[in-house]
Order: sequence, then structure tokens, then C-alpha cells
Amino acid sequence: MMKLRLCSLHYGVRANIWRRPVSHYCSNSKSIISSSIEVKPKLPLYLRPPSFSTSLSELTKWHKWAKNLASSVGSSFVHLDNGPDSTLLQRELNWLLEDLLEVQHHSQILPLLKSGSNENADVAVALRVPLEDLYCAWRQRIEERRPFQYVVGCEHWRDLVLSVQEGVLIPRPETEIIIDLVEDVALKNNPKLAQGLWADLGTGSGAIAIATAKTLATRAHGRVIATDLSPVAVAVAAFNVQRYGLQDLIEVRKGSWFEPLKDVEGKLAGLLSNPPYIPSGDISGLQAEVGQHEPKLALDGGISGTNDLFHLIDGAASMLRPGGFFAFETNGEKQCKFLVDYIEKNKPDSFCNIKIVPDFAGIQRFVMGFHQ
Amino acid sequence: MPSFILKRVKKGCLPLFQCPRISLCSSKLVPNFPDSNQSSKVLESGLSSVLLNSTKNLSGSISTLANSSRFCSQNLQSLHSNPKIGIFAREFGTQAAVEPCTSDGLTVDGIVGSNWTILEEGEGDWKSHAAAIAQSIQVIKKRLQWKKLMVRLDLLSAELNKSDLWNDPVHASKISREHGSLMGKMKEVKQFEQELLDHIDMIKLAKEENDSELESESMEALLRMRRDSKDKELEALLAGEHDSCSCYIEVQAGAGGTESMDWAAMVMQMYKTWAQRRGYRVTIVDEMPGEIAGIKRATIKVDGEYAFGYAKAEIGVHRLVRISPFDSGKRRHTSFAAVAVIPILGDGSTHVQINESDLRIERFRSGGAGGQHANTTDSAVRIVHIPTGITATCQNERSQHQNKASAMAVVQSRLDQLEMARQAQMNAQHTQSLTEISWGNQIRTYVLHPYRMVKDLRTNYEVSDPDSVLEGDLDGFILSYLSTSLDKDEDEQ
Repeated sequence: MMKLRLCSLHYGVRANIWRRPVSHYCSNSKSIISSSIEVKPKLPLYLRPPSFSTSLSELTKWHKWAKNLASSVGSSFVHLDNGPDSTLLQRELNWLLEDLLEVQHHSQILPLLKSGSNENADVAVALRVPLEDLYCAWRQRIEERRPFQYVVGCEHWRDLVLSVQEGVLIPRPETEIIIDLVEDVALKNNPKLAQGLWADLGTGSGAIAIATAKTLATRAHGRVIATDLSPVAVAVAAFNVQRYGLQDLIEVRKGSWFEPLKDVEGKLAGLLSNPPYIPSGDISGLQAEVGQHEPKLALDGGISGTNDLFHLIDGAASMLRPGGFFAFETNGEKQCKFLVDYIEKNKPDSFCNIKIVPDFAGIQRFVMGFHQ
Repeated sequence: MPSFILKRVKKGCLPLFQCPRISLCSSKLVPNFPDSNQSSKVLESGLSSVLLNSTKNLSGSISTLANSSRFCSQNLQSLHSNPKIGIFAREFGTQAAVEPCTSDGLTVDGIVGSNWTILEEGEGDWKSHAAAIAQSIQVIKKRLQWKKLMVRLDLLSAELNKSDLWNDPVHASKISREHGSLMGKMKEVKQFEQELLDHIDMIKLAKEENDSELESESMEALLRMRRDSKDKELEALLAGEHDSCSCYIEVQAGAGGTESMDWAAMVMQMYKTWAQRRGYRVTIVDEMPGEIAGIKRATIKVDGEYAFGYAKAEIGVHRLVRISPFDSGKRRHTSFAAVAVIPILGDGSTHVQINESDLRIERFRSGGAGGQHANTTDSAVRIVHIPTGITATCQNERSQHQNKASAMAVVQSRLDQLEMARQAQMNAQHTQSLTEISWGNQIRTYVLHPYRMVKDLRTNYEVSDPDSVLEGDLDGFILSYLSTSLDKDEDEQ
């Protein structure tokens, strides 16, 4: 009933040109991915124009409802599959509000909403989506366990804000360390690498490629090629590259691993990747946000999870130039040891300074080294 | 030695030459010292001990002196055993003995001393205005800790005169920055003082010559000064070295579980609204919620001019007495929350260097396989500075990288504060406001039951409406604390 009333309230506003992206915002877009060949990336919430309006009291009503829904979760998702608890969901709700409202209004409206007071109830608030879509979006977050990053269409990663949508892996906090390795290990040991050509294979949202290009640009004129097999990923990565104005430094190519890189064989200064590494058998037991919403293509690494990692190691030997650097993310200690053993047994003369690096949770997460 | 004095006069811009008595006294003192570098050291410790009147400091300075100069122990003995020399030395330090005065010898102290009646702004004659302004000047000087300021300026000038000063550029720029800032404050007050006396001269002249236009112009000017002087009094409350900095405010719940955690959250809310009302930008850096209600601890960052200067008045333990909403028996409970305030030093200041290898960085709440297995918006990071044990956590940024940067900024500020406290101890300056808070250090009580009152235990300032205080109406408490603490300091000199 409430939804109906709100819809009629905003009917006139909704009839404008922003109507179409709005309906996408709320719909679960699995169908779009498979049906479209040329993918048009979705605009993240925070980039949409604030062309919808509601009263502060209606927004407060929604906020109270959303808070209650979040606290009703308690720690049930934690027990179920290590999902988010209500504290985390409350924080996500605050971030959703930040993305929803214009930045210059944050300091006035956010405290009013949080206090839940009835003052200034008639004040009009500009929103980036209609209020009824917010009900729908938050229900999807909680009831369908749709990842928060897909709900708002972006992920904050390092100092970047990257667009993400269904069909693209949401970049993980752990992966941020790959860029630290580029800066603190690769470029420190061999500053000349900053002038060279780098590759990010299976780039997804373009996170590694963009952060690498930015760090190369502060030192020299290095360039990056980002590849992905998924057309959605290619489109989203290209969009993110454009957002950061890096189209002259980053080239996004469609294709599987090294296939689109035949022209640069033996020329790469650096090779980075966060390939799918979850063993196939573990996929069904994944946290709902991951297993039910993120692309299997970006997660499933075959029976032992190492199919793509071995493929990358094999290719690295021929793709990297002498002195070139590689760093790959893995599933943990076991895979790291497998890879290091594999290199030492099969390619003892190809690589040197092989190291395993842990993430901030203390899990052996990355394998890195240099081409001889 | 006379050349040394001359140099000071030139570089330090201090009107030493205007007072023959002082140069006489200093030439009596100075020739005992082996060289000018030594003399400044000796004067530093010797003078501060005389001025502070503290036996502890005195003994401290004796040992410094004994180390710094084999010639001076005898001299020092006479310095504090002979009160006359002590007084002379003080005058040498301030170098302000020549008081500005009007053509007929009237000084600011003279004006205050003559007890002219101070009337309302609108109805006063020139004497009323002049008396009000002169009183303000005294308040401002008191708040700026005028005597200490003069001594410090003197020492800094001496330091700046050293030929090897720039061998250590970091130290040198610190010294010259502090010198510049103190000089600025000193000159501003002197100028204000001079302006008052000039206007008085003008009025007297106008009266003599029956120039009514000049008289009313000067009256206008006095009235303007009278209004400005109130602002200057306030400004002078915030003249500390780091007062203009932004700061972190940290609140920690005391013993007593949910009751105290709820109180800690109320205190934090009080500061958030206080800061927002003052126009500061508030960001939550770290927040550890309690299991049932409230917070175990939290850190906010308060961005804006003089945030630290005001907020430092809140350091200490805040006590609440009320009927607990968490107690089904409706009994009266007492809860505690500790408040710490840390200045965020600007880019111009010297920061403590941090070694990467001294840090341990951890994912704050980790569990499970991580990586691609997990979708989480929680990227909280904890940084431990291993040598000091200082830790900082941040979970409110949206990327791990930024959580790490925010936590790192907190670690930096805490280390800077530690270093400041260490140096302050070395300089024998008061460190009270910077020391770690102990639970015995109660500064304020908030009573909601059986009566309603908030009372500051340091100033006895009290308010009968706790709600307004808890809604951030703290300025009365802060200003009364700042003025009494400065007045107390001055009295102790």
C-alpha cells in the first residue's frame, strides 16, 4: 500500500528520461547479462543526477524501516554462511544514504535522519533514485543477499571508486596488496619496470589495471593491457578506465588469458592477476552474496582451484621480459606452496626471488617473483 | 660580551637599550659565562626555575646547569640564593620593563590602578572606555602568560643568534616558527596597548585645543577598541602552540558494562553535536559498539581551526548519575567515561618518523578463507606500533586502503603526542593536559537524578539543565575552564 501511494506521489517525476536506468537499478539483472552482446555499463548510484524528490519525513520512514530490517538479521547470516551481521548492514545503510543524497546535503540531512526526529518533516530532499526503488533495493540486499556493492553499483577499493554490476567480480580488500607489491617490491628493485608494458589478466572491474597505471604514471610512462573473457567485465573495466581518464595508458582487450596478448610476447615488464582460484567443490557452499550473485567465471578455478594459476605461471615464462615481475593472488597457503613447488621443479631457470606474501589476515595469499 | 648583548638587541628586536638598568644588570651577569651559547642555556634553566618558583624544577635545572657549564654552578647558587639577582634576571628575561605610556606618563597598569568607573558602552566617557580596554589588555596578557611568553621569546632569540643553528634545519625551522608566532602575539598586544595610549593623548590634546571633531573621532576609536578587546580576550584563551590544530576526540567507557557503554555513547554524541554546531567537520574514525547498547570506545576526527584548543578542555573522566534505563529495579547508577583529545599536527610541524618495520598491520575482524570466498564491506584494519604498543583501528572508511591510512594517521598523532609530552617534561613545562587519563581524574559530574545538574569539578561552573549540555552546549564549560586554568598558571609564576 505504501509503495502504491509513493509511486503515485512521484508519478510526474518518474516520467522523465531517467526512468529507464532507474528500473535497471532495482531489477535483478541476471537476464540482461546473457541476452546482451554489447553491454552498456550501469551508472552507479552516486553518479546519477539527483532528479527525484521526497519529503524528509518519507525518507525518515524508509530509513527506520531499513534499520529495522537490518537489525532483524542479528547474526543469523554469520551463523548461516559467514555473511554480514546487523552492525555491518547498518553501516552499509549509512553508505547507501551517502551515495543517495547530494554530497553538499550530507551534513544537514544525515544527522536528522539518524536522530529520527520529526523536525523539518516537510523539507524536500533530492534523491538519485525514487523512494520506492529504495524499498526494493534494501529488500534485495537483505532478503536476496544481493551484495551491497551491486546495490549501489560501486566498490571503494584503495583510493578508487569502481563501478561494478552483476557479471563482474567485486574487487576484494585483499587484492589491494598486489598494488603495494608493485610499488614496494617490483618498482623499488627495478625502477625501469615503470616505463614498461604491464598486463592485468582477468581484470574484472579493472581494479588492478587502473591502480597499476596510476602508480606507473607517477614515475614514468608505463602502460597497461587489461584482458577479460567476459563482455560485461570488458565493458565495465573500459567504463572505469574512462572515469579515471586513463584511456591513453590502459587498453582493455577481450579474450582468455594470454590469447589477446600474442603481439607482446616476451615484452611484458609486469604480469598481475587475481584469477579464479576457488576449488569447484567449494562453490556451492559459498556465502550467499558470492555464490548466488557473483560470476562463477571469476571464481571457479577447477577441481583443485589451480587450473588458471598454473596456466598463468606457464605463460609468464614466455610473456615476461628478462627482469619482469609477476604477482598472483591465490586461495591460501596450500595453493601458494603448490605454485612455488611447481616453479622450482619445472621452471627452475625461468624465475628468481620467488616469494609468498600474506594478506592482513595473515593468510598466505600471493605468489610473486621475477623473470630471470 | 657587550657585543653579545648588542647582537641580541639587533636580531631580537627587543628594546633592551631603552633601559639602562637592565643592561647594567645583564652585563653584571653575563661576563661570568664562557660564551654566548652557554649563557643562553644557563639563562634558560635558571630563569624558568626562578619564574616557576618550583623547587622540583629548580633542582632539575641545577643538574642541567652542572652538566652544561663548569663555570656557572657558583653563579647559579647566587642566582637563587639572592632574591635580588633573581628579580633582576627576570627583568632581563622579559626585556619589557619599558612600559609604553602617554605623554604625561599614564600606563595601562596606571589606568587600571586608578579605578575609573566603567560604564555601559553607550554612556561612557573616555575614561570609562579606557579603563575597560586597559582591563582587557591585562586579561589578555594574563591569558597569553605574558611573563612566560617574554622569557620564551628571549630564549628563542638567543637560540636564533647561534651561528650553528642551521646545522640542524629541522630544529632551526621549528625555533624560527615558534619565534615568529610568539613575536606576532607579542607585537599585537603591544600595538593594541600603544593604540590605546595614543588615543588618550589625542583626546587630551583635543580637549586642550577645543577640537571637538578630533575628540569625537578619538572617542569613536576608543569605542571600537573596546569592542575589539572582547574578541581579543577570547582569542587569547587559545594561544597554545597546538591550539589551532584539528584533533581526535576519543571516548572510552569505564567499568560497569552496558550502563557505562551507554554513557560513553551519550558523551560521544555530545561532542559530535558540539563540534557540528561550531562548524567543525566530524568524521568517525573508529567505533566499537557495546554488546547491548552504547560503545566500548570510539574515536572521531574533528576538523577545523582551534578544534584542539577548545576540545582539550574536555580531557578527563566524566561521571554520570541517573536511574538506569537498563536496570529493571530502577536503581540509581553511577557511570564513567574517559575522554582523550589528541592534536593533529599540521604539515608545518615536525612529525615523529615511523619505521615501516615497527608496524604490524592486521585485518581487524577476520575469519574464514577470505579472498574470493568472502563478500564483505568490512575492511577494518588495526595498526600496532610495536615499540610503543600504540594501536589504532579504523573501520568506517569504505576501502581497506583508506582504513589503513586513517588508522595510520591516528598512530602518527599519538606518537607525536607522546613525543610532545616527553619534550614538555624536558622543558619542565606543565604536561598535565597531555598525560594519560587515569580513572581518578574526574573533571565533571552530570546528575540526572535525584536532582538535575552538570558541574565542572575544576572550575565549579555549573548548569541546571543537563539536556542542553548533552546536546552539545559545552562552550560555557570550556571557556570557564580555559580562563581559570590560564589564570591559575599565571598566579603560580
